[in-house]
Amino acid sequence: METTDSPVVTSLHQSDKNEMQSENNIDSITEVEDHMTLPRIERSKETKLLDTLTENNSNPRYLPVDIQKEEAVVFDVSETVKAPEDGGHEDSGEFVVAMLARGKLEEQDVCKRISPPILETSLEASTHWDEDVTAETWRQHRKHVFVLSEAGKPIYSRYGSEEALSSTMGVMMALVSFIQSGDNVIRSVYSDEHTVVFMQQGPLVLVSVSSTRQSEQQLRNELLYVYNQIVSMLTQASITRIFEHKKNYDLRRLLAGSEKILDGLLNLVDFDPSFLLSAVHCLPIASSFRDSLSQILQKAITPNLVFSILIAKNQLLTIAQEKMVIEDAKLDPSDLHLLLNLIGASSAFQAGEIWTPICLPSFNPDCYFYAYISYLDPPECTVCLLLLSTDNEAFYAVAECKRKIEEAMQAQNALTSIAKAQSYSVSQVGVSDLRHFMYKPFDVPDNHHQLTQFTSPEMEAPYDSEEEKMRLLDLYRDMHGRIHNTSRPLKLIYHVGLRETLLAWVTTKFELYTCFSPLVTKSCAINAITKLLRWVKKEEDRLFIRYPPKYSTTPNASKS
Amino acid sequence: MAESTKKLKKPDVKIVLLGDMNVGKTSLLHRYTERKFKDTVSTVGGAFFLKQWGPYNISIWDTAGREQFHGLGSMYCRSAAAVILTYDMTSWQSYVELEDRFLSLTDTANSDCIFAIVGNKADLTDSHAQASNPEGEEENKPARMSVSSSSLQRKQVNREDAMALYARVLHYKGLDEKACLPAESMCFETSAKTGYNVDMMFETMFELVVPSILKKRNEGESSTVDLEAPSTGKSNKAGCCT
Ligand SMILES: Nc1nc2c(ncn2[C@@H]2O[C@H](COP(=O)(O)OP(=O)(O)O)[C@@H](O)[C@H]2O)c(=O)[nH]1
Ligand SMILES: [Mg+2]
Repeated sequence: METTDSPVVTSLHQSDKNEMQSENNIDSITEVEDHMTLPRIERSKETKLLDTLTENNSNPRYLPVDIQKEEAVVFDVSETVKAPEDGGHEDSGEFVVAMLARGKLEEQDVCKRISPPILETSLEASTHWDEDVTAETWRQHRKHVFVLSEAGKPIYSRYGSEEALSSTMGVMMALVSFIQSGDNVIRSVYSDEHTVVFMQQGPLVLVSVSSTRQSEQQLRNELLYVYNQIVSMLTQASITRIFEHKKNYDLRRLLAGSEKILDGLLNLVDFDPSFLLSAVHCLPIASSFRDSLSQILQKAITPNLVFSILIAKNQLLTIAQEKMVIEDAKLDPSDLHLLLNLIGASSAFQAGEIWTPICLPSFNPDCYFYAYISYLDPPECTVCLLLLSTDNEAFYAVAECKRKIEEAMQAQNALTSIAKAQSYSVSQVGVSDLRHFMYKPFDVPDNHHQLTQFTSPEMEAPYDSEEEKMRLLDLYRDMHGRIHNTSRPLKLIYHVGLRETLLAWVTTKFELYTCFSPLVTKSCAINAITKLLRWVKKEEDRLFIRYPPKYSTTPNASKS
Repeated sequence: MAESTKKLKKPDVKIVLLGDMNVGKTSLLHRYTERKFKDTVSTVGGAFFLKQWGPYNISIWDTAGREQFHGLGSMYCRSAAAVILTYDMTSWQSYVELEDRFLSLTDTANSDCIFAIVGNKADLTDSHAQASNPEGEEENKPARMSVSSSSLQRKQVNREDAMALYARVLHYKGLDEKACLPAESMCFETSAKTGYNVDMMFETMFELVVPSILKKRNEGESSTVDLEAPSTGKSNKAGCCT
């Protein structure tokens, strides 16, 4: 344990010199006003179409405005879209963003500037489909997400119904295909207030219009989650097949009813750092207890069962996996996130059991697993068992496994222990000034088969309101974006804000984000992190699944 | 140990709820099993529910309306003793879909399978409006694709339509109308929201499948589980069956 301590301090000092200065410069500008609500003025007072991928060296910025108008006419929104006064090339970004932000606001010719409010949307109910898409409030949402088909057919919109937005989506598709026709790919558009990110996945186009300060890469990852959630319900192969067969197919026919699953996903993406970190969050329990739960899962098996997952309070308790299957491919955290979201969004019957085909896109985007989902603690429905089989006929056999698991857990009174388990308070770490942290280790045993995990305490005061929670998460996202910036990756950021001081740090062994009270000094923070790392090391058996259990259900492999 | 044997209930018989997305299948089952109506979240795949009905265990399958696409529809319906074809009274389309998309899924059901035609969301139609009060505290959020529900909607499917469909279903199954249960008793109009006719509909179905259970028992089949035991030795490797 002592060995981890000294390098901590030395490397901090090293990076200190390399990185901190430049970071401090940025911070000294941004901390004048509230960090997160300030749009990127420094960089883009005049807006630019920043990032078009060129494949044939044509100038990506060169988008003559008259041609854009022509495209707009095709989609019958010419009135909607008025190019700004003078048609300089630099206007294209503004043009697009104004278009997207205004949606169908025919009557307005000036696009009023709206400051991106952080709080407004926070945890609204996820039914936004009946929103008036011409209303100011619609445009003020922090983050819009649209999914459309290549033919420009709307498939999903986070806010407002897709029908009401079909012309907006038409414009988006016009943009995508216009730029495509020049063998380019549109990736993103920046303005003072919005970042618009485009992503094409097979026959689907996904668009994020965000007024958060998230990086393009982060927004792109979020779009990928949305795409993968759709794939999880249909498989990539079927989506491709459908659109090959009929280019203007209305995919909503197949996704009907799944909007809530996508709404739920986008809410989770905003509030659950698991998505940002691409890691899963375990419920802390004594390792001996976790082992006994794992053994219960290992014993309740049936042919073709491949994953057995136990979840409590939306966090992982344990996961047992089929040996042969994880040798082929390990379970990706993002697949587990999609599964957890699906469970959260689907109706929880007290005594009901769910049997559904489900695809794990990172595992294999083209095939289905069959998921058995059941709650073990009706009527509370907080402890959930998820069993994945490769056999679509295996319902009754898998349901039988559940009964075995239920019985074994009853015998050990496990449900009572699970009910007592809870996330921890940062005060347990015993470091004053430390308010919150997220720690994602890389040096884990059995790394090859291990699910990437992270640990994090509850968010407590002052981050106990939705607004403040979101503000802290936004700060983390900002740090994360800068750490993982592809053109200028950083190892360490020390950020002094008005209301808190943050320190983010990546090494080969871990990725760490910490939040301190604003009064902390740099040396205090460094000290605190040393203590924190020591604490995590001491507690790691409780905080993480250290040795993921395995079983063998392939007939020849074990008992035959 | 007594407790655990109690848990190992095997379904004696199977009832399947079929019908388009959003007609209210999940809400109906919720209303019946949990005595309440909530703005249910989407059904994923099929949900299995075991109902103890006297000495019998009746399994009810709620389906998501997408099974056809997944090729699972026939699995859900296999050896079903009863099928509840559900439509939304305010949506003619949902009624049409029953015949177009769902009826063929019942091919794997028992040959003596019983059919019911259920029109749900009666509370939304004018004719039912006076009949019962929607429960106060409950929210009224319709699904995305359906029309606003704040006001009453026109009833698009009448009881006569349902009865005509019932006749066509029997015809499709090659059954003699006279030998079967009469349409009047097999067509229901329900509201999962108010609870109107919900218990009556389910319990009528339970009563009607009891002979089917007895018949099966007489034939010496102790449970349906054996019938449906997984055929082992299928694709075992890294789990890919498309
Ligand atoms: N007014 C009214 N709404 C209903 C009724 N039954 C279901 N709903 C609503 O219709 C939507 C779809 O219901 P759901 O049970 O999910 O339909 P399913 O797709 O067939 O399972 C939900 O928003 C329900 O709240 C009903 O009897 N009356
Ligand atoms: Mg349903």
